[in-house]
Amino acid sequence: MGGRNRTDRLAAWARDHQLWVELFVLLNLGGLVLDIYLAHSQNQFRRASEYVPLYFSLAAAVALAIVLPVRRQWPAVWRDVGHLVGWLAVATGLAGVVLHLDSRFFDERTIRSLTYAAPFAAPLAFTGLGLLLILNRLVAADTTEWAHWVILLALGGFIGNFVFSLTDHAQNGFFNPIEWVPVVSSAFAIGFLIVPFAAEVGIAYLRLCGAILVVQALVGVIGFGLHAQADFRQPAGSLFERVLTGAPPMAPLLFPNLVVLGGIGLWALSRQRAGRARL
Amino acid sequence: MAFRPVFIAVVVAFALIVSAFLINRARPRVETDQPSATLVRASGKCAECHTRQQYAVVHEYEMSRHAQKGINCLDCHQPANAQAKQEHHGFTIATRLTAGNCRSCHEPVYQEFLHSRHAAVSWAAVFGEKGLKPEQVEFAERFQPGYARRPPHPFVALEGPSAMTSGCANCHSIGKPNDDGTIGTCTSCHTRHTSSVAVARLPTTCGQCHMGPDHSQLEIYEESKHGLMFHAQERQLNLDARPGSLTTRDMFVPTCATCHMSGLNGQKVTHDPSDRLSYYLADPITRPRPNKAHAQEAMKTMCTQCHTRPLIERVYTEAEHVVTSTNAKVQQATDLMTALRKDGVLTTPPFSQPIDFVYFDLWHYDGRTSKHGAFMGGADFVQWHGNYPMLARTVEMRAMADEMRRRHGRP
Repeated sequence: MGGRNRTDRLAAWARDHQLWVELFVLLNLGGLVLDIYLAHSQNQFRRASEYVPLYFSLAAAVALAIVLPVRRQWPAVWRDVGHLVGWLAVATGLAGVVLHLDSRFFDERTIRSLTYAAPFAAPLAFTGLGLLLILNRLVAADTTEWAHWVILLALGGFIGNFVFSLTDHAQNGFFNPIEWVPVVSSAFAIGFLIVPFAAEVGIAYLRLCGAILVVQALVGVIGFGLHAQADFRQPAGSLFERVLTGAPPMAPLLFPNLVVLGGIGLWALSRQRAGRARL
Repeated sequence: MAFRPVFIAVVVAFALIVSAFLINRARPRVETDQPSATLVRASGKCAECHTRQQYAVVHEYEMSRHAQKGINCLDCHQPANAQAKQEHHGFTIATRLTAGNCRSCHEPVYQEFLHSRHAAVSWAAVFGEKGLKPEQVEFAERFQPGYARRPPHPFVALEGPSAMTSGCANCHSIGKPNDDGTIGTCTSCHTRHTSSVAVARLPTTCGQCHMGPDHSQLEIYEESKHGLMFHAQERQLNLDARPGSLTTRDMFVPTCATCHMSGLNGQKVTHDPSDRLSYYLADPITRPRPNKAHAQEAMKTMCTQCHTRPLIERVYTEAEHVVTSTNAKVQQATDLMTALRKDGVLTTPPFSQPIDFVYFDLWHYDGRTSKHGAFMGGADFVQWHGNYPMLARTVEMRAMADEMRRRHGRP
């Protein structure tokens, strides 16, 4: 009897896509604390506003961690705090884009300056996370629409990965041909994730998409290793300096990170498809 | 599984990959052709910060011939032999550049510079041999005998280090011995980051140092027909023309560099500005240089690019007369000073009596100015800034000498 309850609880947890997305956002906001600390340290936090995303992501992660366990008991608290954090994250992301516009690219609009521009699209990570929180509160998680939105946001992330792996490795002159791998793999991720918005897809296609995402995760993990290896090798005063100015070790981890989000969307969509097939 | 979604996915992915290759291909060759990833990063990475921090530096570099040729920040800022290395945001760089950095590409130019009085001799004129290595002194003495192996100028002790650092050293460090074993810095004339030939050709560039009462070359040039025409037609000149193919079509009006250094109409370019000079005009008593015949012919050949031989010969003859007459006047003053010392009337160290300064000004200001004015077409400088004050100071010196002799009871 007890075993059956446990199985039911696990099955309920597996169907709770909403919880997965909440955890995804929570962990990402926590990860952004370190990411922004490293990124803005490169600029030596030249402007006071550069501290805003650092403190915001920390506070937002804490707030979400507090309300997530009481999601069932106090749904209104969970909803309102989520909305507040979500909208603030959207605003932080958009404001970040505007502030990042003060970069070389907008002085001189060439491919070269684009390559070396401050990553003006990077703050959109906040916007994406904020939209996920809002989505989780406005759209029922057991619908096809919800799954599509999650896949769309994961797709946006992979578009970002494509652009950044292209421009970041262009900064390095694609010195090692292996630097093309994330460009190619994220192109395939985009190609496969875009299809559910253009055509009716079945379970088999969603499984193929899942396999494509597994490859993305591998690319990201290998990339993390290669970036870390490059940072250990390059000459600089300290390891922190090398991490700061060398290959960004966290960047490739965006791949497995987005695999998780895309996977949630695909899983939710496949459950919808499976349910529809049963009917 | 349906084929349609797979087809769409592959087409989209492939289109993205092709566009990525096309975008990368469209990047400037200066970046994609670099031999190492570090150099590629340097071309844009440095600018990314320094555009905001020191806009002028990046802007000047971007206008330079170096930028056009694909020379990036790190090419020049790589530590040369024996230079201090500094870790700077992932790059190992040298912050204080010297001729040691420029010579990695411009070695023949550096060698010409080393032969010149701009190199060790310029430094030794103020600070003596101090700081120069024995082999550097030896080398300079081979080409400029008597001008490198010398004590510091008396003013170094008399005026103190602050006057030397902020005054004399600013010009004379064109020949400063560097810690990396090289001498001087090319940016004295070519300026930092612009690395400009055009700037080096401007009269005002030479005039940073060759001005004032002791070496009034810039003022004399401004008075001359050359200077007049330069200001009238500067905008029509091609100051940026490549040194190896410079013609009178580019520089139909000369600046200092045109006559003293440029390879006009196929003549040899030189970074030894005294290569075409036949006299030591800066000395109290002017002597011909050891290579006078060759140097004078080289300068006269340069003059012939714009002038006829009779005019050139006339200018030289008249100028040499001024040299002879100035030598006689300075010699007269020198004899007067020698006699005062010999007779025990003047016993103090140099520059401790008023007459020392009058004598010094006579040859150092007036004598030099009259000679430079004669060779450079500055009539006013031959007369009113040269011979006239020389006459006045001669009279003044005689009166002072008489008074000193009277005081010492040795009329």
